[in-house]
Amino acid sequence: MNESLSIKNLEKVFKTEDDEVVAIADFNLDVKKGELVSLLGPSGCGKTTILRMVAGLLEPSSGDVVVAGNKVSGPGSDRGMVFQEFALFPWRSVRKNIEFGLELSGVPKAEREQRANEYLEMVGLERFADARIHELSGGMKQRVGIARALANDPEVLLMDEPFGALDAQTRNIMQKELLKIIKRTEKTILFVTHSVDEAVFLSDRIVVLTKRPGSIKEIIEVPWPRPRDRASPEVTEMRKSILDELEKENVMNDD
Amino acid sequence: MMPLRYDPDKKLHQFARVLGITIVSLSLLVLVWWMIALLIDIPYLPTPVRVYDAFWRLMEFGDVATGLTMGEHVQSSLQRFAGGFAIAFAIAVPLGLAMGYSQTTEEFSNPIIEVIRPIAPMAWAPLFILSMGALLGPMMVVFIGVFFPVLSNTIFGVKKIDPYMVDAARTLGANNLQVFYKVMFPCTVPFIMNGIKIGLGIGWMCIVAAEMIIAFGGGVGYFILTQSQIGNWSNVFVGLFLVSALGILTTGLADRVHRIVVRRVGME
Ligand SMILES: Nc1ncnc2c1ncn2[C@@H]1O[C@H](COP(=O)(O)OP(=O)(O)O)[C@@H](O)[C@H]1O
Ligand SMILES: [Mg+2]
Repeated sequence: MNESLSIKNLEKVFKTEDDEVVAIADFNLDVKKGELVSLLGPSGCGKTTILRMVAGLLEPSSGDVVVAGNKVSGPGSDRGMVFQEFALFPWRSVRKNIEFGLELSGVPKAEREQRANEYLEMVGLERFADARIHELSGGMKQRVGIARALANDPEVLLMDEPFGALDAQTRNIMQKELLKIIKRTEKTILFVTHSVDEAVFLSDRIVVLTKRPGSIKEIIEVPWPRPRDRASPEVTEMRKSILDELEKENVMNDD
Repeated sequence: MMPLRYDPDKKLHQFARVLGITIVSLSLLVLVWWMIALLIDIPYLPTPVRVYDAFWRLMEFGDVATGLTMGEHVQSSLQRFAGGFAIAFAIAVPLGLAMGYSQTTEEFSNPIIEVIRPIAPMAWAPLFILSMGALLGPMMVVFIGVFFPVLSNTIFGVKKIDPYMVDAARTLGANNLQVFYKVMFPCTVPFIMNGIKIGLGIGWMCIVAAEMIIAFGGGVGYFILTQSQIGNWSNVFVGLFLVSALGILTTGLADRVHRIVVRRVGME
């Protein structure tokens, strides 16, 4: 099997008291093993909705999500998620946050500790293993978030604007950090962002979404090997053309 | 010699300052009490010296009116208090978690709770004491007093849980039960502790009041009542100070536990 993740005819309609909002319509996507695919689109176009349906946190109105051959019917440890809000457990130490998923599946203590050490090292937090969450900076918090999701060794890693709450400089550092992690773990990643720069810097493919209802406007292959030079002419050119595209989409829908 | 100067950053200085001010303020209270007692000179308001003497006499010979020692009175009160508190805690916390978690449970329980809540705990006292006796009766009054603050704070805590935290736990493979005791419970602990602090204060008021309408069985409230009936006002004042001291002790203990738990949980 070459596909890690396969999304078929996904649709989501939110019913409110006096209204129906079609958030996602006719969404199809296959993500290959080890691929990093970004969902790119303006705020409110349905990126989070798609990710939550893949995670199993939200039920699709119709359509299927298939992960490694299994149809998704709820949350599961085969799909790890990283949240923009970090969503760490403040009553647990950094190490205990990372061990959380392993604890749930009954992994013995010794192995848990060893796995936690491995991921602490991977995200560069060995020295903060016993720190409390509120003692960490934003960037460090998200390192914990990533390590916690990876410790379960999921088939797919879902990342919802993971660096959106960080300052620009930390964000760039974290993007490079993520590239290192990808190189080591060869994880399949579905990455949500509204930053064109971030999408071009990280992705194998960029899925550009339309405004509501969210569906695929265009899929762009990013052919260059990573790490990429943000300032190189071809990267700059791609950024510019996607930005133009998004702007057109906005203008079209606003009037 | 170096002049001693107050440095607000030094723990010892801070402590000495608080201690000093406390001593001055309490001394002033005793002094004012003493002056008033000397001035108006009525049996209902004995001087501090007479209360002090009464205290040592009671410690030595016990409460002659009932044949109980002061230790036995204190023990009865604390026993009822602890029992009522424990029952309230054991019921209010799980119920609060369930009510915060499930809308149906809340909708079902709310009418019942709202009907009972406005009834002052003491209003139950005659009924409970006559039907359940001198030990269980006051215990149940404490139960009512502690139950509601713990319950409403627990519910409030559950509602304040960050939904992203629950989502995170689910994506890490947690089932409903695991979400409940690995996320919701620890999230709610600081709120439960807050409810306990409030409940302890109310519960302590309840126990002393409830003991005043029992006819036997001891207790600090019972002691105050019987001593009033025989007109030994010095002893009544000893009783009042016992209530104060034990109250400070219990709430102080709760404060300590609250701080430890909150630090361990790493919240607030
Ligand atoms: N629970 C919900 N009920 C009703 N509408 C919702 C709900 N969740 C999201 N929406 C709507 O669906 C659209 C997509 O939201 P979202 O997926 O959060 O967008 P994005 O992540 O791209 O910013 C928005 O217009 C939002 O208002
Ligand atoms: Mg979003």
